[in-house]
Amino acid sequence: MRLATILGGAVLLAVLLAVPLVVTNLFWLNLAITVLLWAALASAWNILGGLAGGLSLGHAAYFGIGAYVTTLLFLRLGISPWLGMWAGAALAAAIGAGLATITLRLRGPFFVLATLAFGIVIHIVAVNWREVTRGAAGLVLPFSGGPENMMFAGLAPYWYIGLALVGLCVGTTIAIRRSRLGYYLVALREDEDAARSLGVRVVQCKVIASAISAALTALAGTFYATFVQYIDPASTTQFNISVQIALVAIVGGMGTVIGPVLGALVVVPLGELSRAYLGGGPALMVYGLLLIVIVLAVPRGIAGGIESVTRHLRRRRNS
Amino acid sequence: MQLALQIVTNGLLLGGLYALLAVGLTLIFGVLRVVNFAHAEFMMLGMFGTYWIWRLAGIDPYLAVLLVVPLIFALGIIVDRLVLQRTIGAPEVTVVFATLGLSILMQNAALTMWTADIRSVTTDYSGMVFRAGGIRISVPMAISFVVAMMAAAALWLFLTRTLYGKAVQAVAQNREAAALMGIDVRRVYMWTFATAVAAAGAMGGLIAPLFTVYPTVGTSYIVAVFVIVVLGGLGSVPGAVLAALVIGLTEAIAGYLLGTAWAELATFIIFLAVLIARPQGFFGRRGAETFGGR
Repeated sequence: MRLATILGGAVLLAVLLAVPLVVTNLFWLNLAITVLLWAALASAWNILGGLAGGLSLGHAAYFGIGAYVTTLLFLRLGISPWLGMWAGAALAAAIGAGLATITLRLRGPFFVLATLAFGIVIHIVAVNWREVTRGAAGLVLPFSGGPENMMFAGLAPYWYIGLALVGLCVGTTIAIRRSRLGYYLVALREDEDAARSLGVRVVQCKVIASAISAALTALAGTFYATFVQYIDPASTTQFNISVQIALVAIVGGMGTVIGPVLGALVVVPLGELSRAYLGGGPALMVYGLLLIVIVLAVPRGIAGGIESVTRHLRRRRNS
Repeated sequence: MQLALQIVTNGLLLGGLYALLAVGLTLIFGVLRVVNFAHAEFMMLGMFGTYWIWRLAGIDPYLAVLLVVPLIFALGIIVDRLVLQRTIGAPEVTVVFATLGLSILMQNAALTMWTADIRSVTTDYSGMVFRAGGIRISVPMAISFVVAMMAAAALWLFLTRTLYGKAVQAVAQNREAAALMGIDVRRVYMWTFATAVAAAGAMGGLIAPLFTVYPTVGTSYIVAVFVIVVLGGLGSVPGAVLAALVIGLTEAIAGYLLGTAWAELATFIIFLAVLIARPQGFFGRRGAETFGGR
C-alpha cells in the first residue's frame, strides 16, 4: 500500500514535470499555468473556508496585496519579486490575522458580509489611491528578464513555479489537517460552542487559519503579477475574483485536500473554452449555473461527491 | 445653511430609494434565512423591463412599472421553486452561494441578451425639478421616495395587522413551531420571496427615468443595501427603513466632504464598525444569524 502510494506519487510528479516538454502549444500551456494559479488560490481559500468554515468573499484583497506589494517593491526600490513575495505574504498574513480578530464573533452571513466589505474596501483603495497604485490604469512590470526577477522569456519556468506554489498550498493543507490545529478547526467548524466548551482556543485557531490562508493567497498574487506582468484593480482586487476563488474551491470540494485542485481542473478550462466559443457573457452564465447546481446538488463538491460514491460502492461490496 | 439642507434632502431621497430594496432583502433574510445576493438583479430586470416597454410600446415608465411588477413576481415564484426552496435545511455554503450563483447568472443573461450598452429612459419629467424654500428637489426622485415609503408602510401594516402577516412573522420567529401550528411554511417562503423581489423590480421601474440601465447596475446598489439591512438589523422592516435613510444621508454628506470615490469607503467603514460592534443592528435580534429552524 505504502509502496504503491510512493510509486504513484513519483509517476504523477514525473508527468507533471514533463508537461512543458510535451505541451508546446502556447495556448494550452498558458491555460495549464492558469489552472495552477487557480488551484493555488482555491487551496489557500480552502484553509479558511473549508477547514475552518469561514466562508470568505474577500480573498481578492489578499491576492491584490500580494500582486501590488511585489510589483511596487520592484518598481520603486528594485527589490526582486523573489524577496518581495515574502513581504506581500507577511502583510497579507498580518491583515488576515487582524480581520479574523475583529470578525471573530461573527457567524453565518455576518462573517460572509464582513469579508465582502473588507474586500471592497481594499478594492476602493486600489482604485482611488492613484499616487501609488495608478488606479484603474494599472501597473506594468517592466520586463527585465532573468530568473533573478522571476520573469522569464518562455512559459515553462512559470509552470514549474506554479507547480511549486500548488505544492506549497496543498502541502500546507495536508500538514494542517494532520496537526492538532486541523482537528481543532474541524471541531469549531462543526460546532463552535461545543469546541469552545471542550477547551479549543477558538480565537487562536481562526486567526492562524486566516493568516495562513491570506499569506498563501498573496503568494499566488505575486505569481500572477510576474506571470502576466501587468496588474490593475479589475484583475486582482475586484469582487468577481473573490467569488471565483470561492467558486473553484466549492465546485472541487470544500474541506478536502484535493478538491480545490480538481475544481481548478474543471472550472478554469470550462471557463476559458466557453469564453472562446460562446463569448464572455455566456461563459459567466455557465459559472453562475455551475455554482447553483453544485451547491444545491452536491454541496461537498466533486471530491465530496466522489468520496460518497466510493464509500457507497465499498459498503455494497462488503455487504 | 441652504447647502446643508440641500445635502440632507438629497441624502434622504436617496435613502428612500434604498429603502424599497432594503425592506425586501431584510424580509427575505428574516423569513427564509437567506442573504439574497441576487436581490439587486431583480431591480435590474425591473429597470430593463420598464425600459423595453417604454422603448418598444412607448408606454410611460410609471405605467410600465404596473406591467413589470407582476412579471417579476411570477419570476420570483419560479426562482423560489427552483432555487430557494432547495436551500431549506441545506449547509451554510448552499445558503450563501446559491443566490450568489443566481446573481452571476442573471447579470450575464442580461449581458448576453441586451449587451453591456448603457441605456436610459428619457421622459419630459426626467430632469424636472421643483423648488421648496430654495431647495431643489427632483420630481421623479420625490415620486420614487413617496412610493417607496408607502410600500414600506403597507408592508409593515400587512405584517403586523393581518393574519397572513402574522403567519409570516411566526415563520420568521420559529420555522418548526410555525409548521406545527399548521402554517404552510413553504407557501410563506414563496409569497415572501416573490413579494420582496417584486418590490425590488418596482424600485427598478421607479428609478428607470432617473438612472442609466445596464446589466451590472445592481452591483452599485447591492453593497449599500447590505450595509443598510445589517445596520437596521437583519430581518427588521422598520430598521431597514431607518437605516436606509441613515445610509442615504451618510453617502450624501460624505460625498460632499470627501468626493464620491472616497465616500464609498465611509459606507464600508460604517459597515465593518457596525458588524463588529453591534451585529444585530438597530432593531435586530441577537443570534438572528444562526441558520436553520429555530
